[in-house]
Amino acid sequence: MKKNPYTLMKVAFLGPAVLAYVGIFLYPTLRTTVMSFFTVGSITDAMGKWTFAGLGNYADLFASTLFMRSVSNLGGIWLFGGLIVFAFAMLFAVILTSGVRFKSFWRAVIYLPNVISAVAMGTMWMQYVYSSRYGLLKGLFSSLGLERLAAIPWTSPDYIFGALLVAYCFGMVGYFMLIFMAGIEKIPADFYEAATIDGASRAAQFWKITVPLLKGVLRTSLVLWTISTVGFFVWSMIFSPLNPEPGTVTPMVYMYQMVFGANMVVTDRNVGAGAAVGVILSLMVLAIFLVSSRIAREDDLEY
Amino acid sequence: MRSRLTAFIRGSRRKNLLPGYVAVGLWCLFTFVLIGWIIGASFSTTKDIFSGSLFKSGFHPENYVKALFTHKVGVYFVNSILYTLASCLGIVLVSMPAAYVLARFPFKGDRLVQNAFVSALGIPAIMIIMPLFAVITASGLTNSRMLLVVLYVGINVPFTVFFMITFFKNIPRSFEEAAAIDGCGPMKTFWVIIMPLAQPGIITVTIFNFITVWNEYFMALIFANKTSMRPVAVGLYSMIQSMRYTGDWAGMFAAVVIVFLPTFLLYIFMSEKIIAGVTSGAIKG
Repeated sequence: MKKNPYTLMKVAFLGPAVLAYVGIFLYPTLRTTVMSFFTVGSITDAMGKWTFAGLGNYADLFASTLFMRSVSNLGGIWLFGGLIVFAFAMLFAVILTSGVRFKSFWRAVIYLPNVISAVAMGTMWMQYVYSSRYGLLKGLFSSLGLERLAAIPWTSPDYIFGALLVAYCFGMVGYFMLIFMAGIEKIPADFYEAATIDGASRAAQFWKITVPLLKGVLRTSLVLWTISTVGFFVWSMIFSPLNPEPGTVTPMVYMYQMVFGANMVVTDRNVGAGAAVGVILSLMVLAIFLVSSRIAREDDLEY
Repeated sequence: MRSRLTAFIRGSRRKNLLPGYVAVGLWCLFTFVLIGWIIGASFSTTKDIFSGSLFKSGFHPENYVKALFTHKVGVYFVNSILYTLASCLGIVLVSMPAAYVLARFPFKGDRLVQNAFVSALGIPAIMIIMPLFAVITASGLTNSRMLLVVLYVGINVPFTVFFMITFFKNIPRSFEEAAAIDGCGPMKTFWVIIMPLAQPGIITVTIFNFITVWNEYFMALIFANKTSMRPVAVGLYSMIQSMRYTGDWAGMFAAVVIVFLPTFLLYIFMSEKIIAGVTSGAIKG
């Protein structure tokens, strides 16, 4: 008798959230997966108008120079950006947990870029830091007498990928720093004290205590990093607002230009190929997830 | 002896903190220069910005008037406020009951539902955008404010449910038991007794949702084409695109400030709460 009101509550309370999930995540994901095996002329075409293409869309993508360029850009952002972000995030996390003063102030400032709109942050970098007329880098290098460096056009095709990468990484450091700090603070302080008494150097303590005990945290961070780089989009749009510069194109930008774009950069409009881009990116996330859980298992010792 | 030893260790540690201060200090200095210069430029003129010395011709607050009205940032700002507030409210109304049931009432398949919400956090936007666009266009719902709000609610529900489950689990069961004894039904108990108890969690997760929705760009780019519907992120982007025609750099920097000010102010007052939220296992920044 008492069971009835609870069943009603479960349905009424879970219903809207489950419905939102099915409508916005589950159904679209399945439909995109199916669509990636079809040739679809226009995004609004009903399913009846799709023609089966097997793996044709995937073959087309891998044969496309611009798509392959976008994948290599993404790979560069993931690998080099990941090394930069994790190195700085770890460095700052270790510094801020080693007893410096005004810790919460430093922490708050380093995390700050994460709360600011990426469009606003990107504009600051593009229109100020990298500006060739009044930019921060230009001013800094000229005042140091490094005229060669001051004259570098940071947003020209030769340099734009590096410029984009640095600007993106600057904003991401704070987030991973917070995650690393939380992990480090959970490690008992006695470990470090005992190691110090035994004469272990700071570097040895970091590699022998901090890193092994942060394995689980690093694994989660790697998956989070992969998820955020796979969706790399806004920064590319800001760094080449008019016609996409090949150095800034990521798979998501490629899909956007192919399916929604007005630019003639991607000429053959096939929505099915856009869907295939999505499937490829999802598989990348899944692969990293599986590999990382293989490397660091859940039952590893951690705090 | 032991205390002297620890004091010695602490002392030796403190000695080589200087490189740490330098590294962190330089990074923060750069952040301040970056944001400070933008704020300065927003009160300067395009001519002064290009000559390399801000404020050469004085202080120019009229850039903000130009940005708000000439460049329509005022419209985008009002849109963003509407989208953000309506979405945050909707997210709470949909997610809280769901998280409560998942935290408190085991049922067959509850793990599946929970894992489904977690998996949604890893699905790239590109996987959902095309079918959403097809369905929404087919039903003629494009370019409505309500549509974006519904999308923002749906997209942020999984994260919010995930975040709140632990929170509800930590509320002692005695509250519900007492309410049941007094003859209060389970649903009423939730809204009247549990929701107020969950307030700290609701506030934290709503700050995150506020920041996410305010800064959201991709969905708005695709579903809010008309100028009158655009939120700030897309509005600022379209303004940058037209810079080569308008050439109003000072106005653009004023627009940048207007765009980041709300989340920036929120952060200044709430940074401890936001940081605690990130580090307590929240997986969104």
